[in-house]
Amino acid sequence: MTSGFLDGSIIAIALFGIGIYGLLARRNIIKTVMSFGIIQAALILFFLNINYDAAAEPPIGDAALMTDPFPQALMITAIVIGVAVTAVGLTMFISLYHHYGSTNWSKIVRMRKEEN
Amino acid sequence: MALYWFVVLPLMIALVSYLSNSQRTKVTVLFIQVAFFVLSIINFIDVRTNGTKLEVIGGYDIGVGITLKADLFSSVMVSLTIFLFSCMLLYNYKKSYVNHLFLFLFIALQGLISGIFLSNDLFNIYVMIEVSTIVVTILIVFKKDSKSIYDGIVYLFTNLASMTLFLFGIGYIYKIFGTTDLTLLSERLPLVENPRTLILPFVLMITAVDLKSAIMPLFSWLPKAHGTASAPSIISAILSGLYVKGGVYLFIRITNLFQPVFDEMLIFMIFGFMTAVIGWIFALSQTDIKLILAYSTVSQIGVIVFGLSLNSTYGYWGAIYHILNHAIFKSTLFLTAGIIVDEYHTRDIREIRGIFKRMPYVSIASIFAIFGITGAPLFNGNFSKNLIHEGMSDSLLFELAFFIINVGTILIFIKYAQMLRGDSKEHFHIGWNQKFVILLLAATCFLGGILGPIIMSVMFDFEVYVSASSYLSKLFIYLFTLLVGILFYKYVYLQMRLFTKIRELELTFNQVIMAIVIFFTGFLSMMVYQFG
Repeated sequence: MTSGFLDGSIIAIALFGIGIYGLLARRNIIKTVMSFGIIQAALILFFLNINYDAAAEPPIGDAALMTDPFPQALMITAIVIGVAVTAVGLTMFISLYHHYGSTNWSKIVRMRKEEN
Repeated sequence: MALYWFVVLPLMIALVSYLSNSQRTKVTVLFIQVAFFVLSIINFIDVRTNGTKLEVIGGYDIGVGITLKADLFSSVMVSLTIFLFSCMLLYNYKKSYVNHLFLFLFIALQGLISGIFLSNDLFNIYVMIEVSTIVVTILIVFKKDSKSIYDGIVYLFTNLASMTLFLFGIGYIYKIFGTTDLTLLSERLPLVENPRTLILPFVLMITAVDLKSAIMPLFSWLPKAHGTASAPSIISAILSGLYVKGGVYLFIRITNLFQPVFDEMLIFMIFGFMTAVIGWIFALSQTDIKLILAYSTVSQIGVIVFGLSLNSTYGYWGAIYHILNHAIFKSTLFLTAGIIVDEYHTRDIREIRGIFKRMPYVSIASIFAIFGITGAPLFNGNFSKNLIHEGMSDSLLFELAFFIINVGTILIFIKYAQMLRGDSKEHFHIGWNQKFVILLLAATCFLGGILGPIIMSVMFDFEVYVSASSYLSKLFIYLFTLLVGILFYKYVYLQMRLFTKIRELELTFNQVIMAIVIFFTGFLSMMVYQFG
């Protein structure tokens, strides 16, 4: 979150792009879950960078310049959701892997077609 | 009653029923549901007489606390949610797989869906959708069939990907306006001087909402989730009838919010038309009865979006009424399809024959729902489609588009109704609760048609006058459409090889994400070109 060209939101957008690329181009389901992790990190960075001021203090007691507590409150919720989502995704992946023995999206699609 | 009870109470009931875990809880839950439905009606009457309710949880100012809002549309949707969930609980009262875990997830889902309809805060909507996505995923794979686990995982990941875009959009909205509250946003939005600043959040959110409501290029997750082999039929009914409407509801909210800056009605109308047409082409190519119904949902979503984007009051309210109607007849169709699949042990429409002889009640309910969805006179689909038709202001192009959509719907259900024909020696016994629910829903299809004008004026304060001459002309249009449909089915459809090829089409997860990215960049460049 330094000033200048490379501020937090630019890095967040770049990370978001990397995550979307991972979803788009990687066929490995584990890497899909990892891409979701990268996207979540990007979103958290993006939100925390909104109204960020290095001189601001936490909004407790009397502070001259307070940080904006709103994005932080939102991001705590988003982190909790992210953890739950990752857990559900991985659990489902494990039972999928037990059945097909593959981590590859397109191989699983092919196997499903042969099953019919 | 305070609005937050509609979200909190189901969660509490769900928790208590999970902990108590006995056969008696089902009965208790049913009674609570009926009382809850009455409460939602009282809430609706309150909104209807005293105007829109706005409630800030915790007694803070607007913009600090989370706001819930009940206007006419959202309170009707909440009542519909509770009505459908109660019907489904009664319907599945005797099923063995309805254990305490299923009951917990199912009732919690009711609260979450009500939450989507009542929330007036973008981030709150995001949380509700995200949690309900997880709950829906678990319900889809509830019977632990390996095929449905693939469907569930694709559903989960595609919806998560779209919701990350939504959250990113919320980030931009907060950066620009300093709030995520929809009421405050609609006050502050006209103050924006340069519309270019709003392009990115608008496109991000519209992409997410398009996927949620299964509009044209982004619908491939829907048949997987709604038509999956092993999902209980009540889950398919709730997903197709109600949950996808959460997406359409968000679509209405977000396009209304951005209306003063971006008026993209024409684009959405084209999307709606394409969705409807592609939906029925895919539906016709399927042989699995649940998949036929799932693709027909895509087609009907197209009709709704088409009506919403007509830019006329009649079209708008027609589409709103069609949302309610579709919830009723599609859940009837999914429930009856579930009974049929259980009885015949196959999902292939070519092997199922003689339903009318074998299970008369089920087929009567199916026929009522088919009349509803194809828009037969006196049924509810007819009334909403007439309103949409009224909103077209006699443009020949629109009429032609609407005619193509209607022929498609009729074709799907000519194919679907082939199951009813034929002979069968056996006789099927249906439980009283299932019979009651499907006949209640079928009767609602009929009542929604003949009482249409009254319902519209009571629910939405929108007066419609139906003259006898226009009614007769609509009857002739329906008969003409039916004739075209039958001729097309007999002489063209059965000879065509194209549909068999379409059946094989299936997007992998990466291709779905590719579709999202293409949609996003396409829409973004169009907006930049338009406002740049």
